[in-house]
Amino acid sequence: MAPEPRSRAEITEIRADLPPHFTATALRRRPAAPVERAPIYAVVGNPNSGKTTLFNALTGLRQKVGNYPGVTVEKKIGEVYSQHGRPMKIIDLPGAYSLAARSPDEAVTRDVLLGRRADTPQPDRIVCVVDATNLERNLYLVHQILDLGRPLIVVLNMMDLARRAGLEVSRERLEQQMGVPVIPAEAVHGKGLIELRLAMSRAELPLARHRWDVPAPIAPAVAELQASLVDHDGRPPLVARAEALLLLTDADSVRVAGSTPLSGRTAALLSSWRERWQHQGTDWSGVLIQSRYEAINQLCTGVVRRTREQGPSRSDRADAILVHSIWGWVCFAAIMAMLFFSIFTLAEYPMNWIDQQVAALGDWVKTAMAEGDLRDLLTDGVVAGVGGIVVFLPQILILFFFVGLLESSGYMARAAFLMDRPMSKVGLHGKSFIPLLGSYACAIPGIMATRTIEDAKDRLVTILVAPLMSCSARLPVYLLMIATLLPGEAVPAATKVGLILLMYALGTFGAFGFAWLFKRTLLASAPPLMILELPPYQPPRLKEILRQMFERGWLFLKNAGTIILGISILLWFLTTYPKHPDPAATPDVQIAHSVAGRVGRLLEPAIAPLGFDWRVGIGLITSFAAREVFVSSMGVIFGVQAEPDDTTPIRDALRHATWPDGAPLFTPLVCLVLMIYYVFAMQCMSTVAIVKRETNSWRWPLFQIVYLTGTAWIVCFVVHQVGRWAGF
Amino acid sequence: MSSLQMQPSPLCQLPAGATARVARLTGDEGFCQRIREMGFGEASLVTKISGSTTSLCLVNGMRIALNHGAAMNILVERLPAGAR
Repeated sequence: MAPEPRSRAEITEIRADLPPHFTATALRRRPAAPVERAPIYAVVGNPNSGKTTLFNALTGLRQKVGNYPGVTVEKKIGEVYSQHGRPMKIIDLPGAYSLAARSPDEAVTRDVLLGRRADTPQPDRIVCVVDATNLERNLYLVHQILDLGRPLIVVLNMMDLARRAGLEVSRERLEQQMGVPVIPAEAVHGKGLIELRLAMSRAELPLARHRWDVPAPIAPAVAELQASLVDHDGRPPLVARAEALLLLTDADSVRVAGSTPLSGRTAALLSSWRERWQHQGTDWSGVLIQSRYEAINQLCTGVVRRTREQGPSRSDRADAILVHSIWGWVCFAAIMAMLFFSIFTLAEYPMNWIDQQVAALGDWVKTAMAEGDLRDLLTDGVVAGVGGIVVFLPQILILFFFVGLLESSGYMARAAFLMDRPMSKVGLHGKSFIPLLGSYACAIPGIMATRTIEDAKDRLVTILVAPLMSCSARLPVYLLMIATLLPGEAVPAATKVGLILLMYALGTFGAFGFAWLFKRTLLASAPPLMILELPPYQPPRLKEILRQMFERGWLFLKNAGTIILGISILLWFLTTYPKHPDPAATPDVQIAHSVAGRVGRLLEPAIAPLGFDWRVGIGLITSFAAREVFVSSMGVIFGVQAEPDDTTPIRDALRHATWPDGAPLFTPLVCLVLMIYYVFAMQCMSTVAIVKRETNSWRWPLFQIVYLTGTAWIVCFVVHQVGRWAGF
Repeated sequence: MSSLQMQPSPLCQLPAGATARVARLTGDEGFCQRIREMGFGEASLVTKISGSTTSLCLVNGMRIALNHGAAMNILVERLPAGAR
């Protein structure tokens, strides 16, 4: 049975027994005891306040940054050196508006700060990054963090933007009011870093001078719950106070995956107070927020001064067009068209150059080495496999350059705004579009970005449909098929761009369709409410974009040199051995005799209705490792099958491939069907692994494999059969 | 006092360019809490920039996008032009 809440007199008695620093009113200003070991810092702040930029500048690391809320969704740990060269651990936490977390990324921040994460030490000191252009709203989180009683440093970031907006922010005044070091900074330009490092190096940091009393009507509940958390749950006193405030005013704060549940006594007390407040019908969380904002108003007195009235900013003027109900869509379509047009036109020259180098390398190996299996392995396995995929590097780089521009400029949030209306038709909101847009580059960061979605069912729906957005790994497959389907220079680039846009549109519509279905069946829930902050536009940070672009390019090459090389070599062996007893057997007969040929023929009945033969089937199996492996697999299979001196590019080899009866294999219809297969099928081991991690179960990734690959087969079957019936 | 100021109406119905004062928040407790934490609580001033299905608003100098459901839960009193 739940214990009765204690009377006010009893609570006063409890509070009197507590140590002096234990209650809010008696919070003494005294420096925190010096920590024997190097202190652990946490970097916290509102979304998009520049925490990761600051973290990167301090640690020399290169975590991803962008100009939209929710770039960082997991904690990142680095090392920063004090002025005396002493290493200190620093944890970059996802952005949060409040410790009352509404989404999984905010919950990470809350749980690390409250010491609830077994895998992360509780930070000794906190660096609060606040956006100087919006001080009061940013100080709300700082105010909650003050409850933790940890030494903190406030970084007034984006001071340049504040000045530009006509705001004069007095660092001295804020420091005086709060009693903690306040550092003005422009993290993007590296300003304020030395001062911050010096402050972080101090052996002792003062606790905040600011005093704030919990509103009187809820103070007894807070004190009682605080005492219980200390006595029965082993929480340190000040953390207990902050946690008591959260537990009483935020029902969601109780649910913490992987943490120790509350003791019976604390849980019963909490439930008893909640019932009592519900009965009274007073919204105490609202009272608490109001009380904090009143305290923040006092703190900010004389801190911010407006030097001039601000007219419409550049962002306002840009938004008048970019989020306009008609022009917004025109711009969105133009940006997408420009992206894909660039992929075809700009990449052409470097691609041809790489193609020539790969062919020259193959020729050189053929002339430099004696005929034999080792030469074949190098030419048909390594050069054809890896070279076939490396040729797409320029297009991958262009894709990431454009994605970087969108992320860095602030357009991502605008795209989410525009997409809110169509997303609402399928039961999601515009915020779900940010992970989906990110999935155009790669589904893995896209799926991780769903952590910013508040509702668990909406998040799961977004995870389930994210792989339908065509990622960069599908690009080589589409491009190879388009090159096979529409050969030569005579075909205008616009036709090729149109075809590739069609594939992207098909995936996007597929994602919307399945989201609609899931929201009405498996994962039905009320229409979600969206609140999304749109950051001001900023000139794209070219250096950062180029860095991220080359990082992704390097990753692509690394995959080519490891996974794709490994699979190419393995596939060469499987297509070469066992050797046919007749040494004069043609390559076709030899490959049919090999392990791959035999396995492929077993598979063929399942894929023949889609127009694919066993060689395509081998490509479909190997590309489960990563979709682009399909291209290298085709390179190996058709390289092995070709005459020894033939160095025809893959696209030409595919164009000449035939069925045993001499009918062409890669007809325009089959090329189209193959592209459609890759639009829908779940062909990525890494995505399966990340979905398993994010959903904490095998159920959803397995469901995803079945529904996506099943859909791919059905759609391809229908398209192929209808296409054949129509005479294609 | 103008009758416009007395009738709270959902934020989604506020015309673009108009400024209003938040009168009341309705709906889910978590939603109200988050809106208040973002400085968008009762008595704050909001200027609608654009949108009817999805609203784009200016609150304390920040642009906030709200979908239709969210904007329906924020009841505002429109202020006469120039009252801000």
